[in-house]
Amino acid sequence: MMNKNLRKGGKKKDLEELKKEADMDDHKLTLDELSAKYSVDLTKGHSLKDAQEILFANGPNALSPPPTTPEWVKFCKQMFGGFSLLLWTGAFLCFLAYGIHVHYSEKTNKDNLYLGIVLAAVVLITGCFSYYQEAKSSKIMESFKNMVPQQALVIRGGEKMQINVKDVVLGDLVEVKGGDQVPADIRVIAAQGCKVDNSSLTGESEPQSRCPDCTHENLLETRNILFFSTNCVEGTARGIVIATGDSTVMGRIASLTSGLALGQTPIAAEIEHFIHLITAVAIFLGITFFSLSLILGYGWLDAVIFLIGIIVANVPEGLLATVTVCLTLTAKRMARKNCLVKNLEAVETLGSTSTICSDKTGTLTQNRMTVAHLWFDKTVYEADTSEEQTTGKTFPKSSDTWFHLARIAGLCNRADFRPHQESVPIAKRATSGDASESALLKFIEQSYSPVNEMRQKNPKVAEIPFNSTNKYQMSIHLLEDNSQAHVLLMKGAPERIMDFCTSFMLNGQEYPMDEEMKIDFQNAYLELGGLGERVLGFCFLNLPSNFSKGFQFNTDEINFPMKNLCFAGLISMIDPPRTAVPEAVGKCRSAGIKVIMVTGDHPITAKAIAKSVGIISEANETAEDMATRLNVPISQINTKSVKAIVVHGSELKDMNSEQLDHILKSYKEIVFARTSPQQKLIIVEGCQRLGAIVAVTGDGVNDSPALKKADIGIAMGITGSDVSKQAADMILLDDNFASIVTGVEEGRLIFDNLKKSIAYTLTSNIPEITPFLLFIVLSIPLPLGTITILCIDLGTDMVPAISLAYETPESDIMKRLPRNPKTDNLVNHRLIGMAYGQIGMIQALAGFFTYFVILAENGFKPWDLLGIRLYWDDASINDLEDSFGQQWTYEQRKVVEYTCQTAFFISIVIVQWSDLIICKTRRNSLFKQGMKNKVLLFGIFEETFLAAVLSYTPGMDVALRMYPLRINWWFCALPYSVLIFIYDEIRKLIIRRRPGGWLEKETYY
Amino acid sequence: MVIQKEKKSCGQVVEEWKEFVWNPRTHQFMGRTGTSWAFILLFYLVFYGFLTAMFTLTMWAMLQTVSDHTPKYQDRLATPGLMIRPKTENLDVIVNISDTDSWDQHVQKLNKFLEPYNDSIQAQKNDVCRPGRYYEQPDNGVLNYPKRACQFNRTQLGNCSGIGDPTHYGYSTGQPCVFIKMNRVINFYAGANQSMNVSCVGKVLLFLTSSLLNLPAPPQRDEDAENLGHFVMFPANGNIDLMYFPYYGKKFHVNYTQPLVAVKFLNVTPNVEVNVECRINAANIATEDERDKFAGRVAFKLRINKT
Repeated sequence: MMNKNLRKGGKKKDLEELKKEADMDDHKLTLDELSAKYSVDLTKGHSLKDAQEILFANGPNALSPPPTTPEWVKFCKQMFGGFSLLLWTGAFLCFLAYGIHVHYSEKTNKDNLYLGIVLAAVVLITGCFSYYQEAKSSKIMESFKNMVPQQALVIRGGEKMQINVKDVVLGDLVEVKGGDQVPADIRVIAAQGCKVDNSSLTGESEPQSRCPDCTHENLLETRNILFFSTNCVEGTARGIVIATGDSTVMGRIASLTSGLALGQTPIAAEIEHFIHLITAVAIFLGITFFSLSLILGYGWLDAVIFLIGIIVANVPEGLLATVTVCLTLTAKRMARKNCLVKNLEAVETLGSTSTICSDKTGTLTQNRMTVAHLWFDKTVYEADTSEEQTTGKTFPKSSDTWFHLARIAGLCNRADFRPHQESVPIAKRATSGDASESALLKFIEQSYSPVNEMRQKNPKVAEIPFNSTNKYQMSIHLLEDNSQAHVLLMKGAPERIMDFCTSFMLNGQEYPMDEEMKIDFQNAYLELGGLGERVLGFCFLNLPSNFSKGFQFNTDEINFPMKNLCFAGLISMIDPPRTAVPEAVGKCRSAGIKVIMVTGDHPITAKAIAKSVGIISEANETAEDMATRLNVPISQINTKSVKAIVVHGSELKDMNSEQLDHILKSYKEIVFARTSPQQKLIIVEGCQRLGAIVAVTGDGVNDSPALKKADIGIAMGITGSDVSKQAADMILLDDNFASIVTGVEEGRLIFDNLKKSIAYTLTSNIPEITPFLLFIVLSIPLPLGTITILCIDLGTDMVPAISLAYETPESDIMKRLPRNPKTDNLVNHRLIGMAYGQIGMIQALAGFFTYFVILAENGFKPWDLLGIRLYWDDASINDLEDSFGQQWTYEQRKVVEYTCQTAFFISIVIVQWSDLIICKTRRNSLFKQGMKNKVLLFGIFEETFLAAVLSYTPGMDVALRMYPLRINWWFCALPYSVLIFIYDEIRKLIIRRRPGGWLEKETYY
Repeated sequence: MVIQKEKKSCGQVVEEWKEFVWNPRTHQFMGRTGTSWAFILLFYLVFYGFLTAMFTLTMWAMLQTVSDHTPKYQDRLATPGLMIRPKTENLDVIVNISDTDSWDQHVQKLNKFLEPYNDSIQAQKNDVCRPGRYYEQPDNGVLNYPKRACQFNRTQLGNCSGIGDPTHYGYSTGQPCVFIKMNRVINFYAGANQSMNVSCVGKVLLFLTSSLLNLPAPPQRDEDAENLGHFVMFPANGNIDLMYFPYYGKKFHVNYTQPLVAVKFLNVTPNVEVNVECRINAANIATEDERDKFAGRVAFKLRINKT
């Protein structure tokens, strides 16, 4: 025990370490220090011999494959997990009973053998089905393998050589050029225009430039590190390998992902709970009747066989298949609503979700910079940011200032539409160029005039492109009206632009810059910046006539005036929320689901988006906001009254788990900003510690540990990396948060409907078991045989049970809280009580009534049947006397017995009609719910038709021991069927009338 | 994974069970308080009471439709079965001549079986009927008028009557009598107004694997007349008279005496198991049913062990 704990503890510690931030400082070292640390010459690299030794000591540069579960283990898991185990036990007991039979008596009844075979077959078929489904979707490590580069260019002993990537060692001097995959984690020592695509690691989609200087404390954000298995897009870089194989950042994530223990899905837990209940009932019945049969004077052997028979009869053979099919159907329905479910059980998990940790970019937002606000003529105007451009927000386009602003935005802009997109709406066209410029381009195209025409009419004669030191962009264009003059247009960071300006434009008139204007500008800038928007300033200068057409502008040594410009206005941009998201977040809130935003973005932007989609609702504000509003220091704010918080990644880094739990518990509306991938995992674990069922969205490789750890990981179908898709349980085909909510709705519906389906299936268990019990206790001819039981469980009950998956919700399922996995179970004692104790009993009576009718009409009156079993089943007695004095051969009375069994079977079908109808609703009246479920209607016809086929097809007497029935025997069960319906309608009526009353507490499942 | 299952120690489990059975804090027995139990028991009492009433009602209604006189349906009894006496387990008549115990129980059974056939009892209770024709007793307007039965006297069984028989129906001498009777079926006119009789043959059953597979046994049988030897039948020729039909049912045909055919096997080859098959030859009784081996016929094993 101790030992085990220790080992577990050790493993856990490793994981904890992995979860921490990559704790390397190689990016901060100077080149000399670096050279010393890895004892390598920064020009010649390792000597061949050193390289060999290091390789020998550290092992190859490759991700160690995770301890894979062999295929047969996976297969066995499907075969022997949960429900299957129950069926296997049943099958084993059947074979055991058959064995006992064969061993001790000459005349063998093969029923137990057949039942055992059928049970085994059911498990095998469903097991294979699930295994096949699973095998299709579990290839997480393979995509990591595919990402490993094949060849690397290293410099060893001063010579360049191509070597296999797995031979790259720590300290190697490596050269990477555009198009290469980075062979290891590399500290850059020299770079020429090197840009890398880190999207698979960090989720940032834009290529980032690399240089030898350390630009950030954080290893992941500094510009002098190249990461293993990311792509170099352009340029070249030379660097020293600082980590190989599993110790690289990518390797850590990979081992983090594969090292996460996967727990039980909620539905699997529910099924386990259900199995416990069923087993308890089965064993209770079995033992009771075992003792009873001993008291009644049966032999030990008979009693054991009875015991086994009773336990087996309690196994709902068809339920495994029903549940699988119901989940598959919902998965398909979800796929149609853009939720692709990879793991069947995840269908329901989504329904029980109580917390959603969502990405911002692309999920909540459109992942498309869009102009949100303009400020000119000293007024803030709002632009239309909706996806379909439908809000119709507008601003005074007649103002001359707008003309100038639009001209700068359109002309001083390097972005361009990609060709052949005339049919695509402007907002959705693909562009080349940086996100802000593209946003401006689209905005001008939409609200001013075609930008291409503008550019043709005003050809560009010179420009200074944007760079991070200048923070502005300038271009000089020939004016279209008077083709001799030039105009200088400039845009950039507002404060930089303001420095260039000495005048400003108001309603088309130039005014000299004054203090009032400067204050107005500051306010507007702060206001827009406070909305989390990226603000650009715009200004222009009409160049004097001496710089007219033909003048050679030199942008390196500026030979033209570039001061005293005229300020035109500000334009701010944001990645706006998707149209459907605020509504979806609202739905989540009414459904009791907490939505937490986890983003790598800036806190201000994150907060702005959170507010606009409702993650931080209007009524709430963060402590900082409250402090600003009340104009008091933040320490005076009572944190208890604050329900919203924005947590910065760096704060999170210093928190222990109690502090995190405290935040997650005490704040209803939480935004995590500037978080790293590892932190996402910590957040997920925190939520889970508090008992929440967590759904997490993500797209990058960095997200895959969190995706895997979450109860349900949701990957993005469009932007998501392959690894994230494989780690996830579900893929959002349209990347839209709103689709998650529809998924939740479907998940909750299937939980309700599975309840109904199970209630329906379990009910028929009672009319299946009681015949055997009475056969033992009253010694009557067996009223229902094994084969007929199988015909019900695997035949007639199947389609109706599945059809309940198509049932529409009784009320708005998005208006109630998520279910509590501890108390709100799929199958509870109330459901068992209803199915077994009440409806099942009525059904059993219906069957027995039919049974007694047929025997009586054939000559055996009910009281003469008591105790007849021993003679009845004795094949050597061929003159058994009935109530009228007639004598029967064994075969003749067996035909009557089998006819009774067929009739019992058909009676069950008939009472299952009304059971199906009452299972449609749990609270509402059928008259409110209606009979709109076409599949259910089909199910009723199908089961009836199947029953008739089984009874009337010639040859069934030999094949399944089913005999044709007289028409009037079909009607024996009808009064009971009606009784079931009336009883349940009354029950539901009382439940509705007296909410919370005794009947609801005892029978509402 | 949310519902982390903590491993419970054995003691905890027992403790939990104890608390489940009787929780002293909440006064709950098996998860319910006394009132709660009372309510739920009352509910089920009322519920099952109502169900019982409903079941009784429907059963009563059904039994009203079933007559005391004849069952509603007799289609399963279209062919009456044949049966032998003495009835033994698995229908094998085994006689160890030297071992009295082996056949004494048969003799006891037969004595008891044949007692009602004693001439005195027959004469006292039953009519002498005209042979060769059905003894029909129409109700003549009186509903369910009690019916009379025809005499079948034990003496008709000749050497097998067992009256003053020191050989005990031949069992002590290795010449046993086996009695064959046809199952009673109400209102069945056996023979369709033509005479009928029982005939017996010896058969060699070819045991093929088919019998293991539960398939109908193939018709590959050979006569085994040699081992069976000679036999005599009482009444002569195995005749069953029409006057014993039709049967009117236990309630109204109280003293009905079932006609018998006795077969006395005279020289069965000793120490060999002989399969005997007897069938009724009657115009309206089929005897070739593949699945019902006792429809209009009966097969049994006969073995005389002689040391």
